[in-house]
Amino acid sequence: MKLDIQNVSKKYSGKKYGLKDYSLSIEKGILGLLGPNGAGKSTLLKMIATISKPTNGAIHLNKNNIIKDPNYMHKQLGYLPQDFGVYPNLNAYEFLEYMAALKGIGGTQLKQRIALLLEGLNLTEVAKKPIGNYSGGMKQRIGIAQALLNHPKIVLFDEPTVGLDPEERVRFRNLISELANDCIVILSSHIVSDIDTIADEVAIMKDGQLLTKASQNTIVDSIKDKVYETTITKEAISGFSANHVILNTIRKKENIIVRYISEENPKDSKLCQATLEDAYLYLTKR
Amino acid sequence: MKKFIILLKSDYLQRTRSYPFLITLCISLAIAYTFIPPPDATYSTIRIGDYQGYYNSEWIGYVTAIMTSIFLSLVGFYLVNSGIKKDISSKIGQIIATTKISNFQYLLSKAIGNFLILSTIAFIIFIMSILLFFIYSTGYPFKILQFIIPYAVIVLPSLLFISVLAVFFEVFLGRIPVLQNILFFFLFSLILVNDNFGTKEFGWDIFGTRIILDQMEESVREISNIENTSGLSIGYALGNISKTKYFPFEGIHFPGSFLLSRLAWMGLGLFLLGFASIFFHRFKIKERFQPKKIENVLKTVIKSDINISKLPKIEKSFMVLPLIKTEFVLLVRSGHKWLWVLNIIGVLSLCFAPLSVAHQIILPILWFLQVSRWSSLVTKEKNFNTHFFTFASYRPLRRLLLSQVISGILLALLLATPLLVRYLILLDFAHITTILLGGVFIVSLAVVLGILSNGKKLFEIIFFMLTYTNINAIPFTDYYGGLHHHHAYLMAITIVSAFLLIVSYTIRSIELKKI
Repeated sequence: MKLDIQNVSKKYSGKKYGLKDYSLSIEKGILGLLGPNGAGKSTLLKMIATISKPTNGAIHLNKNNIIKDPNYMHKQLGYLPQDFGVYPNLNAYEFLEYMAALKGIGGTQLKQRIALLLEGLNLTEVAKKPIGNYSGGMKQRIGIAQALLNHPKIVLFDEPTVGLDPEERVRFRNLISELANDCIVILSSHIVSDIDTIADEVAIMKDGQLLTKASQNTIVDSIKDKVYETTITKEAISGFSANHVILNTIRKKENIIVRYISEENPKDSKLCQATLEDAYLYLTKR
Repeated sequence: MKKFIILLKSDYLQRTRSYPFLITLCISLAIAYTFIPPPDATYSTIRIGDYQGYYNSEWIGYVTAIMTSIFLSLVGFYLVNSGIKKDISSKIGQIIATTKISNFQYLLSKAIGNFLILSTIAFIIFIMSILLFFIYSTGYPFKILQFIIPYAVIVLPSLLFISVLAVFFEVFLGRIPVLQNILFFFLFSLILVNDNFGTKEFGWDIFGTRIILDQMEESVREISNIENTSGLSIGYALGNISKTKYFPFEGIHFPGSFLLSRLAWMGLGLFLLGFASIFFHRFKIKERFQPKKIENVLKTVIKSDINISKLPKIEKSFMVLPLIKTEFVLLVRSGHKWLWVLNIIGVLSLCFAPLSVAHQIILPILWFLQVSRWSSLVTKEKNFNTHFFTFASYRPLRRLLLSQVISGILLALLLATPLLVRYLILLDFAHITTILLGGVFIVSLAVVLGILSNGKKLFEIIFFMLTYTNINAIPFTDYYGGLHHHHAYLMAITIVSAFLLIVSYTIRSIELKKI
């Protein structure tokens, strides 16, 4: 199983690009897509899911051009969009049966598979109630269930943890880890903690372009010995931020603890252990 | 005041920059073109017995104003009756609710917004009427005032009142849009009958057309020396054109009392808005969603993880039957449950009413009650944001679109079953075929207009007009065989339906390729 994205661009009206000359290759495992809002994460996932066509470039799954043959992708795709909706008049069973029919799957075991998915996602008790009555988190879990209906070989999760409580997030991460044993999982988020514990590789994006793609360790190592912490007064913060890439600030009464990037070894500052979040902020802010 | 104008401006721009508005504008323009029949046309729009006016400024100005007043009042209501609903769905309403703007100001801004939209269309029709004068006129002088006066006195107050009525209906019946549509349908029919054939008190005439029609009748009486000029017809009438005689219509001097009555209708509109503002929900709408209750249930559940590898294997299945089933369920469940009470009454009426009444009157009304269902047949994916799933599904065009069409037709035929059975008992296969084709046609129309306009409004407006003309037994619009059952008619409906379905398939296919 191999997904190849080659020089893909998505141009909107005028000179605006959603994605620009983007290339990426992924085999089995979890790829975490990190980037601020508007970085092009959802655009990329939509193009892989074939619900948006690139202006230029090619996308191949196992050497099959999925732009020309989207049904090849549809057969093995599990996709959770960022901003999806549901039919409020259907209950969870009915909705998932409908989704299964859309995906072209069925068989005698379909009902049991749906029941187990609903049970695993803690929705059995409400499965017979109209989805219109569900909370945001419950709808999100329905979205996850539909993505797993067809035993997908490539799974795209766009901001999947929105609306999930902390316990559900942990369960979701476990689920993804298991999924990744025999398929490609691409997980997009702008929340680093959603990604750093599970992703085999991380791709950081900004303004429609790929800034870096590597293992977490490699990315973190790129800013090793550059992350510092110091305490300054509130009045000094604006002057300080003009000269440094600030990663984080914590208010402490009259002072502010500032975590920042420095290429040199500054005085009165403490060297800190770099994290993926530091690297992400450094790459997207500079 | 400045904030109010900004509110109005943004509302106006947002609504006029939409694709459905442009389509409605184009259709209005096409319809306006027919308000004044070409000299060799085989139909008339306003006719008094065998008479119609010479194509001078007065005739063209007043006739197009009358037609615009009626046409835009009818269609305009459906075009603008969801302003508040849009603010609810876009969540803008919740922001507005936290501002200083009063209920009355908000509703007034909505009413004026509606009025501006309708006035824009009226203005385009006004320009078209002047063009028609220059196209058809045979040497009569161009008098701009004979165009401006009827539009200012007749059209604008009517549109303002309809704009207010749309807001008024939305405040009280906003959660039941189907009831809004049906009530307005009957209200409009009642007003039209009363205005044109009932009261002689011009002040009670909402559309302001009666006074002009009376003047036209009077002019015909003067030249024909006939006391009783019966046979006034408004709307598209076919035939009898060869006998047409012409009379010079020279416009009308509106009496002061009539002008005051037009102002009074606008005043009544303001009063209705004030009344509605007392009851306006200000976006504190009871939510259907009850998370606490459901979440409490969830806390009692023992949670288990999904073991992906142990999930039962599934098989490939490309049958469309499950899709048809769910699409049909979605159709049946959409809208309020009590609408099914009306449907059941309609179905029972089809069982027991005289056959001709059941076919000509009850069936089109019963089908019109499904307007909201059919209009969402192919637009619900975008409305409910499920298009990410459906467009990424396996062969969405061949499987999903087909199942949507079939489920829509199934609903039409299910409702018409008693009538079909009655014709079957009589072995009247011609009528059975016309009903089957009628069901196919109306669903095809819903599908093509939904895909073309990417919204529900266009089909709702056209279906409303179709139903109105069907009940008035206008042969041209009879799609379900209430009046005809000739082979040529069956062939025409079949060809049109097939054409609509091919267009739907093609456009959706292009849509899917362009995403």
